[in-house]
Amino acid sequence: MNSNPRDNEVTMNLDRRSFIKCAAALSAVTAAGSIFPGISFADWKRQEGASGMITWKKAPCRFCGTGCGLLIGVSGDRAVAVKGDPNSSVNKGLCCVKGYHSVQALYGADRITTAKVKRNGKMVEVPIQEALDIVAAKIKETIGEHGKNAVAIYGSGQWTIPDGYVASKLFKGCLGTNNVEANARLCMASAVTGFMTSFGLDEPMGCYEDIDHANVFITWGNNMAEMHPVLFSRMLSNRKLRKDVEIIDFATRSTRSSQAADKSILFRPQTDLAVANAICYEIIRNNWVNWDFVNKNVSFHKGKTNIGYGLEDNFQFTDKEEPLTFEQYKTFLEDYSPEKVEKLSGVSARDIKYMAALYGDPAKKVTSFWCMGMNQHSRGTWINNLVYNIHLLVGKISTPGNSPFSLTGQPSACGTVREVGTLTHALPHGAVANPEDRALAEKIWDLPEGSIDPKPTYHTVEMFRALDRGDIRFIWIQVTNPMVTMPKLTRYRDGAKKEGRFIVVSDVYPTPTTDVADVILPAAMWIEKEGMFGNSERRTQHFEEIVPPQGEAMSDTWQIIEVARRLGFEKQFPWAKEDYIGKIWEEYRRFHDNPKHNMAPYTVLKERPGVQWPFVNGKETRWRYNPEYDPACDKGRDFHFYGQNDNRAWIWARPYEPAAESPDKEYNFWLDTGRVIEHWHTGSMTMRIPVLYNAVPSSYVEIHPDDAADLGVVNGEMVKIISRRGSVTMPASILGRGVPPRGQVFVPFFDERYLINEVTLDSFCPISKQPDYKKCAVKLEKA
Amino acid sequence: MRPSGKTIGTWGPVLAAVCFLGLGTLQITTAQAATAMIFDQGGEVLYKQYDSTPDNYLATGSGGRNLNSYYALRQYPGSPPRIPHPVEESFSTAPVNCLACHAKGGYSAEYQNFIPVTPHPEKELCTQCHVPLKETKSRFPENRWESINPPKLGRSMLGGSPPPIPHSLQMRENCIACHTGPAAVAEIQIGHAARGNCRQCHVPMVQTEPMKVYIRK
Repeated sequence: MNSNPRDNEVTMNLDRRSFIKCAAALSAVTAAGSIFPGISFADWKRQEGASGMITWKKAPCRFCGTGCGLLIGVSGDRAVAVKGDPNSSVNKGLCCVKGYHSVQALYGADRITTAKVKRNGKMVEVPIQEALDIVAAKIKETIGEHGKNAVAIYGSGQWTIPDGYVASKLFKGCLGTNNVEANARLCMASAVTGFMTSFGLDEPMGCYEDIDHANVFITWGNNMAEMHPVLFSRMLSNRKLRKDVEIIDFATRSTRSSQAADKSILFRPQTDLAVANAICYEIIRNNWVNWDFVNKNVSFHKGKTNIGYGLEDNFQFTDKEEPLTFEQYKTFLEDYSPEKVEKLSGVSARDIKYMAALYGDPAKKVTSFWCMGMNQHSRGTWINNLVYNIHLLVGKISTPGNSPFSLTGQPSACGTVREVGTLTHALPHGAVANPEDRALAEKIWDLPEGSIDPKPTYHTVEMFRALDRGDIRFIWIQVTNPMVTMPKLTRYRDGAKKEGRFIVVSDVYPTPTTDVADVILPAAMWIEKEGMFGNSERRTQHFEEIVPPQGEAMSDTWQIIEVARRLGFEKQFPWAKEDYIGKIWEEYRRFHDNPKHNMAPYTVLKERPGVQWPFVNGKETRWRYNPEYDPACDKGRDFHFYGQNDNRAWIWARPYEPAAESPDKEYNFWLDTGRVIEHWHTGSMTMRIPVLYNAVPSSYVEIHPDDAADLGVVNGEMVKIISRRGSVTMPASILGRGVPPRGQVFVPFFDERYLINEVTLDSFCPISKQPDYKKCAVKLEKA
Repeated sequence: MRPSGKTIGTWGPVLAAVCFLGLGTLQITTAQAATAMIFDQGGEVLYKQYDSTPDNYLATGSGGRNLNSYYALRQYPGSPPRIPHPVEESFSTAPVNCLACHAKGGYSAEYQNFIPVTPHPEKELCTQCHVPLKETKSRFPENRWESINPPKLGRSMLGGSPPPIPHSLQMRENCIACHTGPAAVAEIQIGHAARGNCRQCHVPMVQTEPMKVYIRK
């Protein structure tokens, strides 16, 4: 079968004569019995003049944050096959459905291969150099008229490290605006603030090898069977091989991961905060505390409470830390006895005690995994802190198999957003508010002192609010699709469409975001350019340009360089096209020149499937804060949490607080949004991969069978989901892959034909500013 | 959940069905079709069976069954196979007895072969769907029935990529049951059940259903 949309026209134009011919062909076929009905992959167009030989080249996968090592099969100038890289310790030769078919996403029929500019309300093709002229001129004009903080760049955890680095250098350094954000704000900002508040340094202490050592896996709101399948199957095979392994799925709905787990425990949305505290309560009540570890390595703290939800424009929040004694912390936990929490959370006291006993059993190594369930949470920072609390109380951290493990959703959310610091408050090293960090950046970037603004501007939600208000007039969006992913989407789409806004979008396919663009720049995709991604376990992975970019497509890095030079920053962007990635990497590496964060040299990255940082004296660091593995630790101690000033990890007293919006009499359902294994994010790539599109060709709303019966809908019938923001009508899925409890519905957000984010709420964690996509109130109608 | 896509023109449905057979490229389905996920809920059976089946058993193949003998028991690909051995009458009232052998498999001394494992042991009224045919020497009544050819194997989308699952998942979600073990049909026995999360790599794409093309509106 082929994927050419023009085939439609063929069918539509079939007249009666063709039909008869067709029927004749059919009977001939039936008689011969030689062709079966079904997909004939033999119908793919064959590469002309191909030798039949395949060259294999390494690249990290384009999709999730697991960061599987792939080998890309190349024939001529085209990618034709994929296999798992057996040399990659991440996936050991295995991929998932998305990875195996990833290269097909390069060849969708509607790839953007030329630049387009809006003229008289219509998008017209122009040479890319002309489009870049327009972008540069518009930046200059906007700054002249509205000031430097009226221009912004909004990137992505799918940016390569050089992409994000040059974006930060141009906007924060040269232009002096902190209007640099990335969609990773929507996906792991709470993980960052969780790490920063608990440990003072970002990113996990452990690595995927923990999976081969742990006896207990507890997944917190994390459907790994679909979202991190390669790590999940590694868990399963460990359970099968070692026998002393169990998996506990702690979630708000029943998923494929629940089916595989030894125990599935469901909690009511938002009450994970209370359950985590109840687990700590039980650990202390039973004296399972690892006192030796706690006395040497932990200090206790509290912050502000009733911290709000960020629903109003210009919302501000700064947390205030106060030290606590252990006794005060213990008193704080008194509100969280399992019996009390049972009423709130719907989790039986028995199950809470069971989980606490697993964490508390000194003979068991415990790894906790989480991702969006804990991060896309109006108290995302808190729930991250609370799970660290559990691990810290029992001292199960920074040793093989004992690991609180925050997974990421994008291939370079860690590498490009967290490490390069493409968020408004951050720099490649440290924060804009910190004079030494600014001085270091100005020195490396060869900029005069004072070039970098010490004041952060807008986090992502506020950035799009500023665009709506008119405080931001120009925004350049790269490698992301906010017109599908922003919560409370209608406001931000209307804002982007307003007069006097100039939207530049660099992308590879038309999306609802290119629909609102004034300039569309064709981007080189993934292996059409050289770059690096950084995955969830601090692993940096390099890939070269394996196939040439299509048409006039240009790497996002080079687009920014071209614009920077047009703005007069040749000195800061001097590189040649032949070796700019290597040069940029070596410049960037200077920011992390210390044993806590040293990155591998370019030459090493090119040789290996991936290298973990800190990379010190030619060695990767697998477990941080443990002197046995981490050279940054002081010798002579069991652990050294060197990120915080007191050289300890911090336990935080964080209470339960409700979500911004909970179901009531009128809007009586929880709405949860998420993903399926076949599709990635907004589907702009995976929907164009035939096998993935056919497996799940449409989004749907999962409804509990009893709720569906009350509503009078059967599988596939249309349901209208209505919130105070908007509504969407989509097919019901009853007893499908996932089953929510009564009173909850779940919608995968990949399908731009059903914009569920017109329904969601833009509440966010006041500390991380990451929106809560998992909780808002809706009502349902049969459509 | 059946696709609710609109087909084009009066001839659309006929053409869609008919042309597809001969000229695969002519099929079109509009993009709005919902996914057929109703039979996507039995993962637990698979995971349990994976976990409880010893590695060496997973990897063993006896070659005792092959696709020819497999399809010979089926009226069409996907139909419930008839029971190829004598069944005592009493079995129809005590269906669970089938599971004595077919739940876990193993070697049958009586039939000198390995016993196929059912992918749906939770369904206990076996004879509801599986017909115990008495041995007979006469032919069935003549019938002009024509079957379709079974799905072809190994139809990967890319060279070397894991082939999609060519059959519906209805009653057949437990991959381990049919694709591993000594009774597995030789041609579809897999040698890499190591990680147990089959659909991590294999996407369901029913070969007898038209292939959809994503077209952005």
